[in-house]
Amino acid sequence: MATTSISLIREQSQAVIPPRALWVPFPLGRPLGAADDRVFQRKVLRSAFRLLETANFPTIEDFPEEAPFQKESEAWACPVSFPVIESEEIDFRLRDEINRLLPWSLETRLARGRSLFGVSGADSDQIAEVVDAVLHIVETGEVLQLPPSKIEWRFEMPLLIRHLADDLRTFYHEALAAQPGEGAPSHKAFNDFIFGGTALGDAFQSLAERLTEEGSPMSLITRGFVLPEGYYKGGSAFPTPSELRERGFALK
Amino acid sequence: MVRLSDLHEVEQEHMRLRISEWKPVEKAPWITPKPLKEARVAIISTAGLHRRTDTPFVFGAVDYRLIPGDVDFKDVVVSHVSANFDRTGFQQDPNIWFPLDRLREMQSSGEIGGVAKWHYSFMGAQPNHVALQAAGEEVGRLLAADEVDIALLIPV
Repeated sequence: MATTSISLIREQSQAVIPPRALWVPFPLGRPLGAADDRVFQRKVLRSAFRLLETANFPTIEDFPEEAPFQKESEAWACPVSFPVIESEEIDFRLRDEINRLLPWSLETRLARGRSLFGVSGADSDQIAEVVDAVLHIVETGEVLQLPPSKIEWRFEMPLLIRHLADDLRTFYHEALAAQPGEGAPSHKAFNDFIFGGTALGDAFQSLAERLTEEGSPMSLITRGFVLPEGYYKGGSAFPTPSELRERGFALK
Repeated sequence: MVRLSDLHEVEQEHMRLRISEWKPVEKAPWITPKPLKEARVAIISTAGLHRRTDTPFVFGAVDYRLIPGDVDFKDVVVSHVSANFDRTGFQQDPNIWFPLDRLREMQSSGEIGGVAKWHYSFMGAQPNHVALQAAGEEVGRLLAADEVDIALLIPV
């Protein structure tokens, strides 16, 4: 059969030289450009399919349009603010944020009829248990032993930490998407919000510190899966090749 | 827009290193498919998608998950490990990664001949392409058995 592909990073396609690639100038995580825009998505698909009729040798074609302006833009501002009291412990602050966001998160799930929450193994109503697990890891520094819970976790440690973090991230994004205002935040706006003073951002930084303290290659790699690059207070979230080599680990 | 130079410097360095190690895919006979309006299309995604009941992907996974052509997006979740790409669009509209609804529409309008019974999902962030060869060849055989004419490869 024939293949045609979408390419997000042109340099990768140039290295691999697939038969047909449509390079699209969209952010990572948006290969069809725009959510809920069937006309634009079809335009991208038609361009990728057209290569099947026009290319006679390995071809990379550039899609000529930027993605249309999305409502969930970089200019997004959160309509709620969480009070930060220095003396308050992370567990109190995190649970308080969750309680404030819970009704909004449920609204989004109701409206969409689906949710990405629960990849860790949690059921849809087990946000409190996910928070308990994260706080347990933060408090004990146990990044290699599964946190005690009635949830049947679907990952080993330390990789579970990455998916606990993602369940929390999903929950927050769902909540923010339902609130009145400028719609859901983009990836960057969302990360800027999370790491700009929320208890969740502080909890993620603490998870990263615990993983760093443990120091094994998988813990350091997991740190890079918990925190997007550019947000870890300790520097590079993903360990450098030399850091991994020092620990006798080589990415194959 | 995204080019390597638009990414965070750590990601840039990581990707440049990886790209420098990659080799072009082995040349195969050039295949010209049947006309699009007669062709059956399958999606191959590297977004780490799977049904909620499936075993999730782990870091470095070289296996794949089946996505039925009649899947309900309510049942689809993602266990891709990377924190460095935007998931917000997918939360809003799964078609931005996995455009099954768009293919169904294009089938209804006669633009494509049909939509495959099965589609396939791999875990991305896999720097070692050779490690995927066995699973890739297996999926190729499955696609052929499903009489797929066009495989549409979509990254994340």
